[in-house]
Amino acid sequence: MSQSCLPVNAKMSKAKKVLDEARETQNRELDLVDKGISSFEELPGLFNMSYITRLTLSHNKITMISPGIANLLNLEILNLSNNGLRELPVSLSSMPKLRILNVSLNRLDSLPRGFGAFPVLEVLDLSYNNLNENVLPGNFFMIETLRALYLGDNDFEHIPRELGNLKNLQILGLRDNDLLDLPREIGELTRLRELHIQNNRLQVLPPEVGNLDLLGSKSVMKMEENPWVVPIQEQYLLGISHVIEYIKTETYKILYNRHIKSERGPPPPKADKSKKASRVRA
Amino acid sequence: MSSKMEIVQAADMSLAAMHCARCADGFEPNEKIVNSNGELWHTQCFVCAQCFRPFEDGIFYEFEGRKYCERDFHVLFAPCCNKCGEFVIGRVIKAMGASWHPQCFRCQMCAKELADTGFIRNQNRALCHECNAKVKAEITGRYMCHKCHGVIDDAPLRFRGEVYHGYHFNCTSCGVELDSTAREVKSRPGLTANDMNELYCLRCHDKMGIPICGACRRPIEERVVTALGKHWHVEHFVCAKCEKPFLGHRHYEKRGLAYCETHYHQLFGNLCFVCNQVIAGDVFTALNKAWCVHHFACSICDMKMTQKSKFYEYDEKPVCKKCYERFPNELRQRLRKAHEMSMKKNF
Repeated sequence: MSQSCLPVNAKMSKAKKVLDEARETQNRELDLVDKGISSFEELPGLFNMSYITRLTLSHNKITMISPGIANLLNLEILNLSNNGLRELPVSLSSMPKLRILNVSLNRLDSLPRGFGAFPVLEVLDLSYNNLNENVLPGNFFMIETLRALYLGDNDFEHIPRELGNLKNLQILGLRDNDLLDLPREIGELTRLRELHIQNNRLQVLPPEVGNLDLLGSKSVMKMEENPWVVPIQEQYLLGISHVIEYIKTETYKILYNRHIKSERGPPPPKADKSKKASRVRA
Repeated sequence: MSSKMEIVQAADMSLAAMHCARCADGFEPNEKIVNSNGELWHTQCFVCAQCFRPFEDGIFYEFEGRKYCERDFHVLFAPCCNKCGEFVIGRVIKAMGASWHPQCFRCQMCAKELADTGFIRNQNRALCHECNAKVKAEITGRYMCHKCHGVIDDAPLRFRGEVYHGYHFNCTSCGVELDSTAREVKSRPGLTANDMNELYCLRCHDKMGIPICGACRRPIEERVVTALGKHWHVEHFVCAKCEKPFLGHRHYEKRGLAYCETHYHQLFGNLCFVCNQVIAGDVFTALNKAWCVHHFACSICDMKMTQKSKFYEYDEKPVCKKCYERFPNELRQRLRKAHEMSMKKNF
């Protein structure tokens, strides 16, 4: 091995070392966590390692993903949690084997057009970004293979009714948004067994939520910290099962219909989000 | 009973010893004397006990020692048929609290004469044995033997599409009398009711080596599926949940039952959250999810964790301590607050 006389960035050499080792051992799972990486340019030859199935780049400072990542034709898991990503390349959506994409804890303000074209994506973690319904691409809810969708810690006020297309969805995370309502189509997600809607601005639940199996031993329903109408709040204090039973009643359906037709303004946003790390300018 | 009288001349007998059976007086010489069954009468004494007129054509009816003309006997004593309303002369059938001409007392279902075969009272109807059996079988849901038409009290023997008492048949091979456990062996496969089929006792049938379906307990003459230590008809080897046949597709076994892929996972949920595959070996269970050994890891950094690893919960995903500490402060504060709130609510 020859000694380089160029001054080498210490962290960069660390990442390179991992890559070299992986190439030597033909390791299909690549861990590059907390290596101070700020760009894919610091990972030379990575895109030629088309045999890798997992790439984990959490806790780095990456702001942009090179479109070349789509060369990793065997990649199944891509984890870019806690970086500085502001946008994603649309080429991600064409990766033929990508099943799990974690871009939580970034600074995403939007998603690229055509983002929903993933052929086999099962888990999409977009938690803790700056996303809302206006920046979702038109085909976002076309990812029919999706099992879990995490949108917690974002800025959604509404969820499009196309949500009902996600027939395989088992987990829907909407915690800590600004949600004013949920679409009735949520009742079409027959496989849903985890619903996180705590800390929003919800006053009512669509009665269709009562159709879902959210009371089983393997189900989770979290709905605290919302300005619920009084009857829901009362039932909530008794337990989730009481809420589900209550929203199935005719009485509630009448209340719900009256509520969504009323002209009352939405409850005010309660959280000051300016301190969110995803917003603070680096 | 009607009888015929006989008129004899008193002169022929020794008058001193004779007297009338009715008035007990003697007879004049040369007087006409009536002789009936050894008793003697004055002609004026030999009359109907009711109307005191002589018997027409000498025919009388006797009842309790008294003699009656035909008309009075009918009026006083003869039974009326419950069906046609006419007097019953000759053989009277007393049944169902009434009298009948033998030809008038018939089964109320099939109208067969019952006088000589006997009858059974069924819901105030007189029925022949066959019809009674039919009615009984209909009511109790039991079968009627296709051969003797009697009700089959035990399990029926099914043969060539009909049901029978087992005891009407013998095993084709060993000759033993059969019961409902006998097996019908198809001579022409594919046809259920088949006039060439033969019956065998269970023992002989077993010796013939025909596999028995674990679901319907009938022999399998076509393709045999072997699974769960039993044999099955292809169409009877089904998912324990949806009851759809596997038809060669993969099945999953659990506690002696077979399930299709979908329902096995739905019921037992042992799909790894990461690889979405059935977990073959050890299962990590936490946060309402399951993981295979290879994929139980921190959801942020993908660092593998063990059963002993401590982790935080973020939207029901595991986060290792190291990663949690790298969460933005404001997020950790919010999560801590939410956690405290939920604790307060629950306790």
